[in-house]
Amino acid sequence: MKIIEVKDLGFKYAGTDFYAIKEVNFEIDEGEFVILAGKSGCGKTTLLRCLNGLIPHFYEGEFDGKVLIDGVDTRDCPPYILSQKAGMVFQNPDNQLFALSVEADIAFPLENLGLPREEIRDRVEWALRLLRIEELRNRSPFELSAGQKQKVAIASVLAMKPKILLLDEPTSSLDPVSAKNLIDVIIELNRRHGLTILISEHRLTHLIPHANKLAIMDKGKIIYFGEPRKILREDVLMYGVSIPRVVEVAREMEKINGCLPFKEIPLSVDEFLNNLRGALR
Amino acid sequence: MIRFESVEYIYPNGIKALDKIDLEINDGEIVAIMGENGAGKTTLIKHLNGLLKPTKGKVLIDGIDTRKVTVASLSKKVGIVFQNPDDMFFSENVWEEVAFALRNFGYDEATVKRRVENAVNFMDLVNYINKSPFTLSGGEKKRLALAIVLAWSPDIIALDEPTIGQDLLQKEKLLQVIKLLNSQGKTIIVSSHDVEFIADLKPRIILMKRGRIIADGDAEEIFLNEELLRSCNLLPPQLITLSKELKFIGVKPKLYSPRELATEIMAKLQR
Amino acid sequence: MAAILQGLQFYPGDSFIHKLDPRAKLLISTTFLLITLIYVEVTVTTMIIIAEALLAAISGTMRRWVKTVYGSIPFIVAVFLMNYLVRMLIPGQPPTHIILYESFAAAYRLIALLASFSIFFLTTTPEEIGMTLTKLRIPYMYVFAFISAIRFTPILAEELQTIMDSQRSRGLELDKGNPLTRLRRYIPILVPLIVNVLRRSYELAEAMEVKCFGASKKRTYLKELKLRLKDLVVIILMLASISISLYFKFINPIKIP
Repeated sequence: MKIIEVKDLGFKYAGTDFYAIKEVNFEIDEGEFVILAGKSGCGKTTLLRCLNGLIPHFYEGEFDGKVLIDGVDTRDCPPYILSQKAGMVFQNPDNQLFALSVEADIAFPLENLGLPREEIRDRVEWALRLLRIEELRNRSPFELSAGQKQKVAIASVLAMKPKILLLDEPTSSLDPVSAKNLIDVIIELNRRHGLTILISEHRLTHLIPHANKLAIMDKGKIIYFGEPRKILREDVLMYGVSIPRVVEVAREMEKINGCLPFKEIPLSVDEFLNNLRGALR
Repeated sequence: MIRFESVEYIYPNGIKALDKIDLEINDGEIVAIMGENGAGKTTLIKHLNGLLKPTKGKVLIDGIDTRKVTVASLSKKVGIVFQNPDDMFFSENVWEEVAFALRNFGYDEATVKRRVENAVNFMDLVNYINKSPFTLSGGEKKRLALAIVLAWSPDIIALDEPTIGQDLLQKEKLLQVIKLLNSQGKTIIVSSHDVEFIADLKPRIILMKRGRIIADGDAEEIFLNEELLRSCNLLPPQLITLSKELKFIGVKPKLYSPRELATEIMAKLQR
Repeated sequence: MAAILQGLQFYPGDSFIHKLDPRAKLLISTTFLLITLIYVEVTVTTMIIIAEALLAAISGTMRRWVKTVYGSIPFIVAVFLMNYLVRMLIPGQPPTHIILYESFAAAYRLIALLASFSIFFLTTTPEEIGMTLTKLRIPYMYVFAFISAIRFTPILAEELQTIMDSQRSRGLELDKGNPLTRLRRYIPILVPLIVNVLRRSYELAEAMEVKCFGASKKRTYLKELKLRLKDLVVIILMLASISISLYFKFINPIKIP
């Protein structure tokens, strides 16, 4: 069974006269790492909202099609159950931290669910260790950097033990090293702990080498959905997707050479070098 | 000409945000101020129009000491486009929003009308002139924020983290606008940690760390120094990293564009 | 004004006072309050103030506590003047020197009152205050609102500053003009502020939904306040003080200079 199944999904927000997303169809296996890309306004955020139940439970509008998360139809399932299947991390670090200490913030959703105290304590410890933020336990949100806040946000959501983690442009406000740091954490969550990841981002350079699938959206529809290497052979710049520069170099070399000088498109500096060395032999 | 002379700035809560800053920016330059969050970039920018006045030292804009004049009068010369457009919109429609600053600066209505139309045209917002600024999309809001400043045509334009949350096409457009404004003689200052964007712009770079300027040079020189960048929580542009690794086929490490590097590699491979 | 606020903000520390259960501390402040209200005599008030100063010293918050006292002087003076003037004008009042003494005593008591709660706020974290409210059976909705206020006020304050910076950079001059025009000039400040507050509320509501806010009728809590021996000792002491004060005032009045 696929962990996420989306069939003919469409959504029009109440009070608007156009579909934010339309005819969306795809499936995701458990443990996959999927990138959602596309220019601002293409429907990425709307799609993510459909995957954790915010649509249709929090946002009103016309909902077409079906979304199955871990076999459950989102329309029939209350949001607090869906949050335990698919956790969501938002773009603004401050607007998802509610408590006055990191520990209290991670405990917040568990307290809301009415879990017994011992269970809450265990899960808080687990989440702190998972994100490697044990030393931040007693800090208040005002003392944290943006990168640290996002890690706390992830920990807070993972404390509910979802199998899926949805992230909506989580590195937006972070500087390059903090952004890479956060992405490394997310990659580890996927590699080591088998978490299914669906992340929407503009800055793809560090993400693409680790992704199983790349989805490119435009005007509410999915234009491409598949392996990054195949998709990056196409002209995706027109969809506002920043592809890694090394990919651009490879494609320019393809134009000069007539064909790609390597076996396949390199997604990172290391892959480029390996491919080059391979081609030279 | 912008001059910082031994500028120090300590916030009321005691944090020293700027520590002995000496800086000179000539008319018509494009300068990028880079560094991690908290290095002092925004504090520096706020000194340009007097929003913040140095606790020690002085800032001179075209010879005028910023401590001696009002923010409003300095703003006529130095336009700052802040990071979050949502912190400035309050009018009924885009037209009024752009006109606001012009009226504050005392232009007569005929001039206001002309300048609003020019700015709106320049930033491709003609179709939105009667729309409420609150109904605009994120990218449109950023364009409006820039249009607002361009309307009064300051000689110096400072942009604080203009690329956050922007997609590729929006960034390309911004790059073009900056280059165009510079060709018209404007001094442009961009504070950013978007390394790839600055790499495309190829400006003079001022690197800040903990309130100090630790490097001041041309883009290529600074981007080639990986250790320096990492000490500021920055990473070098991907193609610099790649070109360094390609020394073994004779490629010289430089700030290449993808096409330039591709051409160079193919050339070296032919041999 | 700012000085008073400083005395009402949590000041970190490791003192005996800090470690007391917030309910015990609340009782200490309430005890001071009651005694000050019961007794008008200046000597009693002075004793209370000395006691408060002692607590401030023990908890290492002396500086801040003094600031509250200092900052409330304008109010004190105002109360004193009002009291004095009103009583001078009403017929059938005792001679002037008694009015002066009583007005002074009234104002003086105000210091003790304000300062009594300062100790509580200085040594109790907002989180602990939240826990106290929960223990007092206040519905979670209100406790959450309180904590959110503490959580987001600094952010709002920062936003206000950013908005003012943006608008001043567009030539808006907030310090010029008569009171009426000045008020209009605040529109470009208030509108973005309110819009941002609304937008933030929406984003917060979304995040709350994702974090299952309201999912369970029986909400549990990771941390809970527990009274320990030292808390009980303090509580007994305070209750005893109140009883003694009441006794000597109403049941067996004694003369106090």
